[in-house]
Amino acid sequence: MDLAFFIAPLAVSGISAALAAVISISDRILNNYGDVDININKGKKNLTVTGGAPLLISLSEQGIFVPSACGGRGSCGACKVKVDSDIGPHLPTETPYLTKAELADNVHLSCQVKLKTNIEIDIPESLFNVRQYDGVIEKIEDVTHDIKEVLVRLPEGSEVSFTSGQYGQIEVPPYEKIKESTQRAYSMSSAPARKGYLEFLVRLVPGGIVTSYVHQYLKEGQKMKVIAPFGEFMVRETDATMVCVAGGSGMAPFKSIFQDRIDRGVMDQRDIWYFFGARTKKDLFYLDWLEELQSKYERFHFIAALSEPQPEDDWKGETGLITDVLGKYLTETMPKGDVREGYLCGSPGMLDACMNVMRKFGMTDDKIYFDKFA
Amino acid sequence: MNSAPIIAPLTLLFASIFTSNILLANFLGMCSFIAISKDMDSANGLGMAVTVVLVLTAAINWVVLHFILVPLGLEFLQYIVFIMVIAAVVQILEMVIDRVSQSLYMALGIFLPLITVNCAVLGVVLFMQIRNYAFVQALAFGLGSGLGWWLAIMLLAAMRRKIDKAPVPAGLQGPGITMITIGMMAMAFIGFSGMLKVQ
Amino acid sequence: MKMSPEYVKAQANMQAGVITSDGFMGTDHRNLTDIIEQDEELMTSVGLEWEPVVARMRHLLKEGRKGLGEPVTVDGDWIVQVSEARGFLASPFEDGIYRKVNAEVVLAPGGKPTEEKLYYSELSLHLLEKFHFLQGHGSPFRLEPARIKKVLRM
Repeated sequence: MDLAFFIAPLAVSGISAALAAVISISDRILNNYGDVDININKGKKNLTVTGGAPLLISLSEQGIFVPSACGGRGSCGACKVKVDSDIGPHLPTETPYLTKAELADNVHLSCQVKLKTNIEIDIPESLFNVRQYDGVIEKIEDVTHDIKEVLVRLPEGSEVSFTSGQYGQIEVPPYEKIKESTQRAYSMSSAPARKGYLEFLVRLVPGGIVTSYVHQYLKEGQKMKVIAPFGEFMVRETDATMVCVAGGSGMAPFKSIFQDRIDRGVMDQRDIWYFFGARTKKDLFYLDWLEELQSKYERFHFIAALSEPQPEDDWKGETGLITDVLGKYLTETMPKGDVREGYLCGSPGMLDACMNVMRKFGMTDDKIYFDKFA
Repeated sequence: MNSAPIIAPLTLLFASIFTSNILLANFLGMCSFIAISKDMDSANGLGMAVTVVLVLTAAINWVVLHFILVPLGLEFLQYIVFIMVIAAVVQILEMVIDRVSQSLYMALGIFLPLITVNCAVLGVVLFMQIRNYAFVQALAFGLGSGLGWWLAIMLLAAMRRKIDKAPVPAGLQGPGITMITIGMMAMAFIGFSGMLKVQ
Repeated sequence: MKMSPEYVKAQANMQAGVITSDGFMGTDHRNLTDIIEQDEELMTSVGLEWEPVVARMRHLLKEGRKGLGEPVTVDGDWIVQVSEARGFLASPFEDGIYRKVNAEVVLAPGGKPTEEKLYYSELSLHLLEKFHFLQGHGSPFRLEPARIKKVLRM
């Protein structure tokens, strides 16, 4: 028998084995980034992690949660982090989400930054307060035809220290055609004093991944991961008159804000005007509670405005677009000469329109605050 | 067995860059050439990568050919073995590039592993074998072919930048005008032919 | 036809559950590039050009937003209702993020609504403009050229 029959396969296997060995050794050397130091806020906190993973993931594994709506897939642009050390140029996957100013400032998407060397980053102080909670759904209630009130019970002994107006990220598991867990942000509608619980108002958005899940599948007793608190929308503690405008699920932060003021006994200390815009009567909710507040607290005023009241609504309140009603009150009804602060929560279109009205009637941009994650 | 051609390695180097340019004279290595020449930086990066691959594979394959395949009488295995070595070298190069410059890694995308099936690479190795080069000649040939390929892709990238701003008729935009340009570049390089010998 | 890596990635992102719940491909089994190519032919065959269509759709969206969620009559012949949700949607081509702004445009000559309507979003409009993508058959945001011509009266 020709010796080649044995030698040939042996030779080929020998060569491929040798090549495989070289590749595996190179892999061990090249892909092993060793330990990487993450220096946060100029030494305020120092973490040592195993290199090679994205910054976002490494941080969350160490308990620091940078906001993210897409879980690190690079499709939401929310996980921006300012990098103080040199980590090379921006990747093409990052540039669509960064403004020119951010690019110049070395702001990166932390889900796209692979940790290869020691890195220095700068994150807002408030992020140190963010934690992950494995909550359980205690109650789900319909407040309107498309808004559900979701109450989450936090694990025994844990609590979230947040300021009214902030939001949390809730995560839903894969379902139907959705193959991965998805996170979305919702304002907390419960007051901070309500320890051990977090409440959210979730409005069904057609085609929305998380809202569809909450409305169709979420059950009481089910587990839900919550990461909180995030956000800079909160009441400025001054004496100025608060002009609050919200619509639909935009009520959530205000429910928290008002309840919080009641809990702290300061509800009477400022003039508060709350404008709630909706289309028909069936889109309004918490009316009883808000009207009760109005009768109980002299300085709290609640104005609901329907843009399209139906005959069966028998609506006696204000009608028209919320911006028109707001304008009317700013000029005619509210006391003149007082300093006014604006608090807005709603869609970008509504925010722009309300801000225009507020500016038109004497309010300044530096005193108008809005929920930015919209 | 034939002996190696009597050509100085330095001559071979210049020959493979200019007169026998692997891409413009032999038309090997076209697909990534056309795709990546859209952008100067990635063209530069890919040119560098291809050169490194060519030098390494020329060297390693020469050693494997002359110390393993020929002594054991297994020349018929050369196609399989050469491709395996090329694949391994490209794999390691990928890891190195990912480590050193992630933006280049992403810019090259799929064309980095595609170097494995780039006919220029296998072509150079087989030419080396057919023309029976000695080791230093093989190295010079590999290096020269790589540099020639790099030169060609940089030239094309530079030209495409200008062409992008020119009023090209709609039907010829993109691949059409690129092919015509490559053809004209090849004709220009034919002017060099015959000046230096490669075999 | 073989698709470039950019389109392969975009098609993967367009599957249901990746960016939106229903995805952008609907029940279509064709490749992304095939869909675009065939829709380009369809548009030419009904006599529509992409840029004027985009301009008209953008104008209707802009005017419709002024209604803050209510239906608004625009230019006398269309009733537009624009709804907005919070958060952002990433483009499947990874070239930017877009607010969740959805527009329903109903053809209403002289203010009288008909059954002919178009449904699009800021993102779907971007895909239409930049990539000539009208979405796969069966997608809730699929735009048929014949219907575009009818509703936009072009």
